[in-house]
Amino acid sequence: MKFIKKQIPLMIVMVVGLLTLASYYVPNKHSVDYIELLSKWENIVMAFAFLLGLISLFYSHYNKISRKTDGWGYSLFVYIGFLGMVVPAMMNGGRQMVDGRLTMLGWSFNYIYNALSATMFAVLAFYIVSTAYRSFRIKSKQAFVLFLAAFVLILGKVPLGQIIWDFLLGWTHATVSEVIEWIMSVPAVAGKRGIMIGISIGAIVTSLKIIFGIERQYMGKD
Amino acid sequence: MLKEKLEKFFKIDRRWIFLLLAIVLFAPIMKPIGLPNKTISRDAQNAYTFMDNIPAGSFVLFSLDYDPSTRPELHPQAMAMVRHAFKRDLRVGVVTFIAGSTGLISQIFAKVPGEYNKGNGTDYVIFPYQANYAAVMTQMGSDLYGIYDKDQDGRDARTLPVMKGVKNYKDMALVVDITGTSILDQWVAFVGDKFNVPVVGGVTAISQPGYGPYLQTKQLKGLLGGMKGAAEYESLIKEPGKGTSGIDSLNLAHLLVLILIMTSNIILLIIRYL
Repeated sequence: MKFIKKQIPLMIVMVVGLLTLASYYVPNKHSVDYIELLSKWENIVMAFAFLLGLISLFYSHYNKISRKTDGWGYSLFVYIGFLGMVVPAMMNGGRQMVDGRLTMLGWSFNYIYNALSATMFAVLAFYIVSTAYRSFRIKSKQAFVLFLAAFVLILGKVPLGQIIWDFLLGWTHATVSEVIEWIMSVPAVAGKRGIMIGISIGAIVTSLKIIFGIERQYMGKD
Repeated sequence: MLKEKLEKFFKIDRRWIFLLLAIVLFAPIMKPIGLPNKTISRDAQNAYTFMDNIPAGSFVLFSLDYDPSTRPELHPQAMAMVRHAFKRDLRVGVVTFIAGSTGLISQIFAKVPGEYNKGNGTDYVIFPYQANYAAVMTQMGSDLYGIYDKDQDGRDARTLPVMKGVKNYKDMALVVDITGTSILDQWVAFVGDKFNVPVVGGVTAISQPGYGPYLQTKQLKGLLGGMKGAAEYESLIKEPGKGTSGIDSLNLAHLLVLILIMTSNIILLIIRYL
Protein backbone atom coordinates (compact mmCIF):
# COMPACT_ATOMS: atom_id res chain seq x y z
CA MET A 1 0.00 0.00 0.00
CA LYS A 2 2.84 2.36 0.91
CA PHE A 3 4.36 1.62 -2.51
CA ILE A 4 1.18 2.76 -4.27
CA LYS A 5 0.60 5.77 -2.05
CA LYS A 6 4.19 7.02 -1.73
CA GLN A 7 6.75 5.50 -4.07
CA ILE A 8 4.70 5.57 -7.29
CA PRO A 9 3.61 9.24 -6.99
CA LEU A 10 7.19 10.23 -6.08
CA MET A 11 8.48 8.34 -9.09
CA ILE A 12 5.93 10.00 -11.42
CA VAL A 13 6.87 13.45 -10.08
CA MET A 14 10.57 12.74 -10.56
CA VAL A 15 10.26 11.37 -14.10
CA VAL A 16 7.83 14.07 -15.29
CA GLY A 17 9.82 16.81 -13.52
CA LEU A 18 13.15 15.79 -15.03
CA LEU A 19 11.67 15.25 -18.50
CA THR A 20 9.97 18.67 -18.46
CA LEU A 21 13.13 20.34 -17.22
CA ALA A 22 15.22 18.64 -19.90
CA SER A 23 12.74 19.41 -22.67
CA TYR A 24 13.14 23.14 -21.98
CA TYR A 25 16.76 22.90 -23.14
CA VAL A 26 16.40 20.26 -25.87
CA PRO A 27 14.99 21.62 -29.15
CA ASN A 28 13.91 18.21 -30.43
CA LYS A 29 10.63 17.07 -32.04
CA HIS A 30 10.00 14.54 -29.27
CA SER A 31 10.51 17.09 -26.52
CA VAL A 32 8.21 19.56 -28.32
CA ASP A 33 5.53 16.85 -28.69
CA TYR A 34 5.95 15.95 -25.03
CA ILE A 35 5.52 19.58 -23.94
CA GLU A 36 2.44 19.93 -26.18
CA LEU A 37 0.89 16.85 -24.62
CA LEU A 38 1.70 18.07 -21.14
CA SER A 39 0.23 21.51 -21.90
CA LYS A 40 -3.05 19.91 -22.95
CA TRP A 41 -3.14 17.76 -19.82
CA GLU A 42 -2.39 20.81 -17.71
CA ASN A 43 -5.35 22.65 -19.21
CA ILE A 44 -7.65 19.72 -18.52
CA VAL A 45 -6.43 19.39 -14.94
CA MET A 46 -6.85 23.16 -14.51
CA ALA A 47 -10.49 22.92 -15.63
CA PHE A 48 -11.12 20.23 -13.02
CA ALA A 49 -9.35 22.35 -10.40
CA PHE A 50 -11.78 25.18 -11.23
CA LEU A 51 -14.71 22.84 -10.78
CA LEU A 52 -13.30 21.58 -7.49
CA GLY A 53 -12.81 25.14 -6.26
CA LEU A 54 -16.36 26.04 -7.21
CA ILE A 55 -17.82 23.02 -5.40
CA SER A 56 -15.72 23.83 -2.34
CA LEU A 57 -16.85 27.48 -2.40
CA PHE A 58 -20.52 26.52 -2.70
CA TYR A 59 -20.21 23.92 0.03
CA SER A 60 -18.53 26.35 2.40
CA HIS A 61 -21.20 29.03 1.88
CA TYR A 62 -24.00 26.47 2.04
CA ASN A 63 -22.72 25.53 5.50
CA LYS A 64 -22.67 29.18 6.57
CA ILE A 65 -26.26 29.63 5.45
CA SER A 66 -27.56 26.39 6.95
CA ARG A 67 -25.86 27.10 10.32
CA LYS A 68 -26.88 30.76 10.21
CA THR A 69 -23.39 31.87 11.25
CA ASP A 70 -22.52 35.57 11.55
CA GLY A 71 -22.96 37.34 8.22
CA TRP A 72 -24.65 34.34 6.60
CA GLY A 73 -26.78 36.70 4.53
CA TYR A 74 -23.70 37.72 2.53
CA SER A 75 -23.23 34.11 1.50
CA LEU A 76 -26.49 34.30 -0.42
CA PHE A 77 -24.84 36.82 -2.72
CA VAL A 78 -22.27 34.22 -3.74
CA TYR A 79 -25.08 32.23 -5.35
CA ILE A 80 -26.89 35.31 -6.65
CA GLY A 81 -23.67 36.65 -8.22
CA PHE A 82 -22.83 33.28 -9.71
CA LEU A 83 -26.27 32.79 -11.21
CA GLY A 84 -26.37 36.43 -12.34
CA MET A 85 -23.38 35.78 -14.59
CA VAL A 86 -23.54 32.09 -15.46
CA VAL A 87 -27.22 31.87 -16.50
CA PRO A 88 -26.96 34.75 -19.04
CA ALA A 89 -23.60 33.35 -20.24
CA MET A 90 -25.20 29.99 -20.99
CA MET A 91 -28.27 31.56 -22.59
CA ASN A 92 -26.19 33.80 -24.87
CA GLY A 93 -23.50 31.24 -25.65
CA GLY A 94 -20.87 33.44 -24.02
CA ARG A 95 -21.51 36.36 -26.40
CA GLN A 96 -21.84 39.81 -24.98
CA MET A 97 -22.83 41.54 -28.16
CA VAL A 98 -24.85 40.40 -31.15
CA ASP A 99 -25.23 42.74 -34.14
CA GLY A 100 -23.90 45.63 -32.07
CA ARG A 101 -26.47 45.12 -29.32
CA LEU A 102 -25.81 44.06 -25.76
CA THR A 103 -26.97 40.57 -24.87
CA MET A 104 -28.15 39.63 -21.40
CA LEU A 105 -24.58 38.52 -20.63
CA GLY A 106 -23.23 41.85 -21.88
CA TRP A 107 -25.69 43.65 -19.62
CA SER A 108 -24.70 41.51 -16.62
CA PHE A 109 -21.03 42.09 -17.34
CA ASN A 110 -21.36 45.86 -17.74
CA TYR A 111 -23.85 46.60 -15.03
CA ILE A 112 -23.16 43.92 -12.40
CA TYR A 113 -19.64 42.50 -12.64
CA ASN A 114 -17.97 45.60 -14.07
CA ALA A 115 -19.62 47.95 -11.61
CA LEU A 116 -19.02 45.79 -8.53
CA SER A 117 -15.43 44.96 -9.37
CA ALA A 118 -14.52 48.57 -10.20
CA THR A 119 -16.21 49.80 -7.03
CA MET A 120 -14.29 47.38 -4.84
CA PHE A 121 -10.98 48.59 -6.27
CA ALA A 122 -11.96 52.26 -6.27
CA VAL A 123 -12.79 52.14 -2.57
CA LEU A 124 -9.12 51.30 -1.98
CA ALA A 125 -8.10 54.75 -3.22
CA PHE A 126 -10.08 56.38 -0.44
CA TYR A 127 -8.50 54.19 2.23
CA ILE A 128 -5.00 54.76 0.82
CA VAL A 129 -5.38 58.54 0.96
CA SER A 130 -6.80 58.41 4.47
CA THR A 131 -4.02 56.05 5.61
CA ALA A 132 -1.35 58.22 3.98
CA TYR A 133 -2.52 61.15 6.09
CA ARG A 134 -2.77 59.18 9.31
CA SER A 135 0.20 56.83 9.09
CA PHE A 136 2.93 58.22 6.84
CA ARG A 137 4.98 59.76 9.66
CA ILE A 138 8.66 60.61 9.30
CA LYS A 139 10.01 59.28 12.57
CA SER A 140 13.42 58.01 11.44
CA LYS A 141 16.09 58.65 8.80
CA GLN A 142 14.90 55.63 6.81
CA ALA A 143 11.34 56.95 6.84
CA PHE A 144 12.67 60.30 5.58
CA VAL A 145 14.46 58.65 2.65
CA LEU A 146 11.28 56.71 1.84
CA PHE A 147 9.26 59.91 2.03
CA LEU A 148 11.70 61.77 -0.22
CA ALA A 149 11.64 59.04 -2.89
CA ALA A 150 7.84 58.76 -2.71
CA PHE A 151 7.49 62.54 -2.86
CA VAL A 152 9.60 62.85 -6.01
CA LEU A 153 7.90 59.87 -7.68
CA ILE A 154 4.38 61.11 -6.95
CA LEU A 155 5.29 64.60 -8.09
CA GLY A 156 6.94 63.39 -11.28
CA LYS A 157 4.15 61.00 -12.21
CA VAL A 158 1.69 63.77 -13.01
CA PRO A 159 2.10 66.73 -15.35
CA LEU A 160 1.01 69.22 -12.68
CA GLY A 161 3.78 67.94 -10.41
CA GLN A 162 6.28 68.42 -13.23
CA ILE A 163 5.13 72.01 -13.63
CA ILE A 164 5.49 72.62 -9.88
CA TRP A 165 8.99 71.05 -9.91
CA ASP A 166 10.07 73.24 -12.82
CA PHE A 167 8.71 76.32 -11.05
CA LEU A 168 10.37 75.62 -7.70
CA LEU A 169 13.51 73.72 -8.67
CA GLY A 170 14.01 74.75 -12.28
CA TRP A 171 17.22 76.56 -11.25
CA THR A 172 18.89 73.19 -10.55
CA HIS A 173 18.60 72.32 -14.29
CA ALA A 174 17.57 68.79 -13.27
CA THR A 175 14.09 67.86 -14.44
CA VAL A 176 11.88 65.70 -12.24
CA SER A 177 11.84 63.10 -15.04
CA GLU A 178 15.63 62.78 -14.84
CA VAL A 179 15.52 62.39 -11.06
CA ILE A 180 12.81 59.73 -11.38
CA GLU A 181 14.79 58.01 -14.12
CA TRP A 182 17.74 57.75 -11.74
CA ILE A 183 15.64 56.50 -8.79
CA MET A 184 14.01 53.88 -11.02
CA SER A 185 17.19 52.80 -12.81
CA VAL A 186 19.56 52.63 -9.87
CA PRO A 187 18.18 52.06 -6.33
CA ALA A 188 14.79 50.66 -7.42
CA VAL A 189 16.27 48.25 -9.98
CA ALA A 190 19.00 47.17 -7.55
CA GLY A 191 16.42 46.34 -4.89
CA LYS A 192 14.05 44.65 -7.31
CA ARG A 193 16.83 42.63 -8.92
CA GLY A 194 17.95 41.38 -5.49
CA ILE A 195 14.39 40.32 -4.68
CA MET A 196 14.00 38.61 -8.09
CA ILE A 197 17.25 36.68 -7.73
CA GLY A 198 16.26 35.60 -4.22
CA ILE A 199 12.81 34.44 -5.34
CA SER A 200 14.26 32.59 -8.35
CA ILE A 201 16.85 30.75 -6.26
CA GLY A 202 14.09 29.83 -3.80
CA ALA A 203 11.87 28.56 -6.62
CA ILE A 204 14.71 26.50 -8.15
CA VAL A 205 15.60 24.93 -4.80
CA THR A 206 11.96 24.13 -4.00
CA SER A 207 11.43 22.63 -7.46
CA LEU A 208 14.51 20.42 -7.12
CA LYS A 209 13.38 19.36 -3.64
CA ILE A 210 9.99 18.32 -5.07
CA ILE A 211 11.54 16.54 -8.08
CA PHE A 212 13.91 14.55 -5.89
CA GLY A 213 11.27 13.74 -3.28
CA ILE A 214 12.76 15.76 -0.43
CA GLU A 215 9.74 18.05 -0.23
CA ARG A 216 6.60 15.90 0.12
CA GLN A 217 4.01 18.16 1.72
CA TYR A 218 1.98 18.34 -1.51
CA MET A 219 1.18 14.63 -1.07
CA GLY A 220 -0.83 15.23 2.11
CA LYS A 221 -0.42 13.65 5.54
CA ASP A 222 -1.53 10.05 4.86
CA MET B 1 -3.38 74.54 24.15
CA LEU B 2 -2.10 74.80 20.56
CA LYS B 3 -0.63 71.34 20.88
CA GLU B 4 -4.02 69.89 21.79
CA LYS B 5 -5.64 71.71 18.92
CA LEU B 6 -3.07 70.38 16.48
CA GLU B 7 -3.45 66.85 17.80
CA LYS B 8 -7.11 67.04 16.89
CA PHE B 9 -6.06 67.16 13.24
CA PHE B 10 -4.72 63.62 13.54
CA LYS B 11 -8.05 62.44 14.87
CA ILE B 12 -10.02 64.05 12.07
CA ASP B 13 -12.97 61.95 10.93
CA ARG B 14 -11.75 60.02 7.90
CA ARG B 15 -14.99 60.77 6.10
CA TRP B 16 -13.81 64.37 5.60
CA ILE B 17 -10.78 63.02 3.76
CA PHE B 18 -13.03 60.74 1.71
CA LEU B 19 -15.19 63.73 0.81
CA LEU B 20 -12.17 65.80 -0.17
CA LEU B 21 -10.85 63.04 -2.42
CA ALA B 22 -14.28 62.51 -3.98
CA ILE B 23 -14.46 66.23 -4.85
CA VAL B 24 -10.91 66.23 -6.21
CA LEU B 25 -11.67 63.20 -8.39
CA PHE B 26 -15.12 64.15 -9.62
CA ALA B 27 -14.70 67.88 -10.23
CA PRO B 28 -12.22 67.52 -13.15
CA ILE B 29 -14.33 64.72 -14.63
CA MET B 30 -17.37 66.99 -14.65
CA LYS B 31 -15.41 70.04 -15.79
CA PRO B 32 -12.00 69.16 -17.33
CA ILE B 33 -9.18 71.55 -16.48
CA GLY B 34 -7.07 70.52 -19.47
CA LEU B 35 -3.70 70.34 -17.75
CA PRO B 36 -0.95 69.67 -20.31
CA ASN B 37 0.83 66.31 -20.42
CA LYS B 38 4.30 67.77 -20.64
CA THR B 39 6.62 64.81 -21.02
CA ILE B 40 6.62 61.40 -22.67
CA SER B 41 8.48 58.79 -20.64
CA ARG B 42 11.33 56.90 -22.28
CA ASP B 43 9.59 53.53 -21.88
CA ALA B 44 6.31 54.70 -23.44
CA GLN B 45 8.26 56.26 -26.30
CA ASN B 46 10.17 52.99 -26.81
CA ALA B 47 6.92 51.01 -26.88
CA TYR B 48 5.50 53.39 -29.49
CA THR B 49 8.66 53.39 -31.60
CA PHE B 50 8.85 49.60 -31.60
CA MET B 51 5.25 49.19 -32.72
CA ASP B 52 5.65 51.98 -35.26
CA ASN B 53 8.61 50.29 -36.91
CA ILE B 54 6.91 46.92 -37.46
CA PRO B 55 6.27 46.36 -41.18
CA ALA B 56 2.62 46.61 -42.23
CA GLY B 57 0.87 43.24 -42.44
CA SER B 58 2.87 41.70 -39.59
CA PHE B 59 1.08 39.78 -36.88
CA VAL B 60 0.98 41.24 -33.36
CA LEU B 61 -0.34 39.21 -30.44
CA PHE B 62 -2.18 41.10 -27.72
CA SER B 63 -2.58 39.44 -24.35
CA LEU B 64 -5.19 41.54 -22.55
CA ASP B 65 -5.18 40.32 -18.97
CA TYR B 66 -7.02 42.80 -16.81
CA ASP B 67 -10.48 42.97 -15.33
CA PRO B 68 -12.76 45.86 -14.39
CA SER B 69 -10.84 46.53 -11.17
CA THR B 70 -7.87 47.89 -13.13
CA ARG B 71 -9.90 49.09 -16.08
CA PRO B 72 -9.42 52.87 -15.60
CA GLU B 73 -5.66 52.50 -16.02
CA LEU B 74 -5.35 49.59 -18.44
CA HIS B 75 -8.35 49.87 -20.75
CA PRO B 76 -7.15 53.20 -22.24
CA GLN B 77 -3.70 51.63 -22.74
CA ALA B 78 -5.21 48.69 -24.60
CA MET B 79 -7.43 50.95 -26.71
CA ALA B 80 -4.48 53.16 -27.67
CA MET B 81 -2.19 50.25 -28.57
CA VAL B 82 -4.87 48.44 -30.59
CA ARG B 83 -5.61 51.71 -32.39
CA HIS B 84 -1.93 52.11 -33.19
CA ALA B 85 -1.74 48.54 -34.52
CA PHE B 86 -4.72 49.09 -36.81
CA LYS B 87 -3.37 52.47 -37.90
CA ARG B 88 -0.16 50.72 -38.93
CA ASP B 89 -2.16 48.01 -40.79
CA LEU B 90 -0.88 45.26 -38.55
CA ARG B 91 -2.75 42.01 -38.08
CA VAL B 92 -3.98 41.60 -34.51
CA GLY B 93 -4.55 38.45 -32.47
CA VAL B 94 -6.02 38.65 -28.96
CA VAL B 95 -5.73 36.16 -26.13
CA THR B 96 -6.60 36.44 -22.46
CA PHE B 97 -5.92 34.51 -19.28
CA ILE B 98 -8.29 36.51 -17.10
CA ALA B 99 -11.98 35.56 -17.29
CA GLY B 100 -13.12 39.07 -16.38
CA SER B 101 -11.22 40.47 -19.34
CA THR B 102 -13.43 38.92 -22.01
CA GLY B 103 -16.12 41.60 -21.67
CA LEU B 104 -13.58 44.39 -21.83
CA ILE B 105 -12.04 42.90 -24.96
CA SER B 106 -15.51 42.80 -26.53
CA GLN B 107 -15.92 46.50 -25.71
CA ILE B 108 -12.62 47.40 -27.41
CA PHE B 109 -13.33 45.40 -30.55
CA ALA B 110 -16.93 46.57 -30.80
CA LYS B 111 -15.59 50.09 -31.23
CA VAL B 112 -12.00 50.35 -32.48
CA PRO B 113 -11.96 48.14 -35.64
CA GLY B 114 -14.86 50.11 -37.13
CA GLU B 115 -12.80 53.32 -36.94
CA TYR B 116 -10.20 51.77 -39.28
CA ASN B 117 -12.46 49.56 -41.41
CA LYS B 118 -10.97 46.38 -39.99
CA GLY B 119 -12.85 43.10 -40.07
CA ASN B 120 -13.13 40.23 -37.62
CA GLY B 121 -11.28 37.27 -39.07
CA THR B 122 -9.58 39.25 -41.82
CA ASP B 123 -7.66 41.87 -39.83
CA TYR B 124 -8.06 40.66 -36.27
CA VAL B 125 -9.00 37.56 -34.35
CA ILE B 126 -10.11 37.09 -30.75
CA PHE B 127 -9.30 33.76 -29.17
CA PRO B 128 -11.34 32.35 -26.29
CA TYR B 129 -10.30 32.67 -22.65
CA GLN B 130 -7.81 30.10 -21.37
CA ALA B 131 -7.10 29.56 -17.69
CA ASN B 132 -3.61 28.14 -17.64
CA TYR B 133 -1.23 30.71 -19.07
CA ALA B 134 1.97 28.71 -18.58
CA ALA B 135 0.63 25.80 -20.65
CA VAL B 136 -0.78 28.09 -23.34
CA MET B 137 2.40 30.14 -23.65
CA THR B 138 4.49 27.00 -23.96
CA GLN B 139 2.13 25.42 -26.49
CA MET B 140 2.10 28.51 -28.70
CA GLY B 141 5.85 28.16 -29.05
CA SER B 142 5.38 25.16 -31.32
CA ASP B 143 1.82 25.30 -32.69
CA LEU B 144 -0.77 27.74 -31.41
CA TYR B 145 -3.59 25.79 -33.08
CA GLY B 146 -2.93 23.01 -30.56
CA ILE B 147 -4.64 25.29 -28.03
CA TYR B 148 -6.54 27.79 -30.15
CA ASP B 149 -8.03 25.66 -32.92
CA LYS B 150 -11.14 27.88 -32.96
CA ASP B 151 -11.63 31.60 -32.44
CA GLN B 152 -14.09 33.13 -29.97
CA ASP B 153 -16.95 32.73 -32.46
CA GLY B 154 -16.19 29.05 -33.05
CA ARG B 155 -14.63 29.49 -36.51
CA ASP B 156 -11.72 27.30 -37.54
CA ALA B 157 -8.70 29.48 -36.69
CA ARG B 158 -6.49 27.91 -39.40
CA THR B 159 -8.78 29.08 -42.20
CA LEU B 160 -9.06 32.71 -41.07
CA PRO B 161 -7.26 35.14 -43.42
CA VAL B 162 -5.79 37.01 -40.45
CA MET B 163 -3.95 33.85 -39.38
CA LYS B 164 -2.36 33.22 -42.79
CA GLY B 165 1.24 32.14 -42.26
CA VAL B 166 0.99 32.31 -38.48
CA LYS B 167 1.75 29.11 -36.61
CA ASN B 168 3.89 30.06 -33.62
CA TYR B 169 5.95 32.86 -32.12
CA LYS B 170 8.39 32.83 -35.04
CA ASP B 171 5.60 34.30 -37.15
CA MET B 172 4.81 37.12 -34.73
CA ALA B 173 6.46 40.52 -34.80
CA LEU B 174 5.53 41.50 -31.26
CA VAL B 175 3.72 40.36 -28.14
CA VAL B 176 1.89 43.07 -26.17
CA ASP B 177 0.71 42.19 -22.69
CA ILE B 178 -1.49 44.62 -20.83
CA THR B 179 -2.12 43.34 -17.37
CA GLY B 180 -2.85 44.10 -13.75
CA THR B 181 -1.29 40.78 -12.73
CA SER B 182 2.17 39.23 -12.91
CA ILE B 183 1.42 37.58 -16.28
CA LEU B 184 3.80 40.03 -17.98
CA ASP B 185 6.68 38.41 -16.06
CA GLN B 186 5.65 35.06 -17.53
CA TRP B 187 5.51 36.47 -21.07
CA VAL B 188 9.09 37.65 -20.61
CA ALA B 189 10.33 34.40 -19.04
CA PHE B 190 8.37 31.78 -21.00
CA VAL B 191 8.15 33.54 -24.37
CA GLY B 192 10.35 36.61 -24.82
CA ASP B 193 13.57 35.02 -23.59
CA LYS B 194 13.00 31.48 -24.79
CA PHE B 195 11.56 32.14 -28.26
CA ASN B 196 13.29 35.47 -28.85
CA VAL B 197 10.05 37.39 -29.36
CA PRO B 198 9.92 41.12 -28.58
CA VAL B 199 7.60 41.85 -25.67
CA VAL B 200 6.01 45.19 -24.77
CA GLY B 201 4.00 45.67 -21.59
CA GLY B 202 1.29 47.81 -20.10
CA VAL B 203 0.85 47.70 -16.34
CA THR B 204 -0.73 49.61 -13.46
CA ALA B 205 1.21 52.56 -12.07
CA ILE B 206 1.78 50.75 -8.79
CA SER B 207 3.54 47.79 -10.42
CA GLN B 208 5.52 49.83 -12.96
CA PRO B 209 8.70 50.26 -10.85
CA GLY B 210 9.02 46.47 -10.58
CA TYR B 211 9.74 46.12 -14.30
CA GLY B 212 12.93 48.20 -14.24
CA PRO B 213 15.25 45.15 -14.49
CA TYR B 214 13.45 43.85 -17.60
CA LEU B 215 13.62 47.26 -19.26
CA GLN B 216 17.30 47.71 -18.52
CA THR B 217 18.17 44.38 -20.10
CA LYS B 218 15.80 45.03 -23.05
CA GLN B 219 13.80 41.93 -22.18
CA LEU B 220 10.92 44.39 -22.38
CA LYS B 221 11.08 46.69 -25.39
CA GLY B 222 8.82 49.27 -23.80
CA LEU B 223 6.34 49.76 -20.99
CA LEU B 224 3.25 51.84 -20.33
CA GLY B 225 2.60 52.63 -16.68
CA GLY B 226 -0.86 53.46 -15.41
CA MET B 227 -3.14 56.15 -16.72
CA LYS B 228 -0.19 58.43 -17.45
CA GLY B 229 1.24 55.74 -19.73
CA ALA B 230 -2.09 55.58 -21.54
CA ALA B 231 -2.19 59.37 -21.88
CA GLU B 232 1.37 59.37 -23.22
CA TYR B 233 0.57 56.72 -25.82
CA GLU B 234 -2.62 58.54 -26.81
CA SER B 235 -0.64 61.72 -27.38
CA LEU B 236 1.96 59.78 -29.40
CA ILE B 237 -0.67 58.33 -31.73
CA LYS B 238 -2.52 61.66 -31.66
CA GLU B 239 -5.78 60.06 -30.55
CA PRO B 240 -6.83 61.55 -27.19
CA GLY B 241 -8.96 59.14 -25.18
CA LYS B 242 -9.86 58.18 -21.63
CA GLY B 243 -6.22 58.30 -20.53
CA THR B 244 -5.89 61.95 -21.51
CA SER B 245 -9.22 62.93 -20.01
CA GLY B 246 -8.45 61.12 -16.75
CA ILE B 247 -5.13 62.86 -16.25
CA ASP B 248 -6.73 65.90 -14.59
CA SER B 249 -8.23 63.78 -11.82
CA LEU B 250 -4.96 61.93 -11.47
CA ASN B 251 -3.06 65.22 -11.16
CA LEU B 252 -5.21 66.58 -8.39
CA ALA B 253 -5.50 63.28 -6.49
CA HIS B 254 -1.71 62.86 -6.46
CA LEU B 255 -1.27 66.39 -5.22
CA LEU B 256 -3.87 65.83 -2.52
CA VAL B 257 -1.93 62.80 -1.27
CA LEU B 258 1.27 64.86 -1.15
CA ILE B 259 -0.41 67.76 0.64
CA LEU B 260 -1.98 65.43 3.20
CA ILE B 261 1.31 63.65 3.92
CA MET B 262 3.17 66.94 4.23
CA THR B 263 0.48 68.48 6.43
CA SER B 264 0.46 65.58 8.85
CA ASN B 265 4.27 65.64 9.11
CA ILE B 266 4.47 69.41 9.59
CA ILE B 267 1.90 69.09 12.38
CA LEU B 268 3.95 66.26 13.87
CA LEU B 269 7.10 68.42 13.82
CA ILE B 270 5.35 71.36 15.47
CA ILE B 271 3.91 69.10 18.20
CA ARG B 272 7.28 67.51 18.83
CA TYR B 273 9.21 70.77 19.25
CA LEU B 274 6.49 72.83 20.90
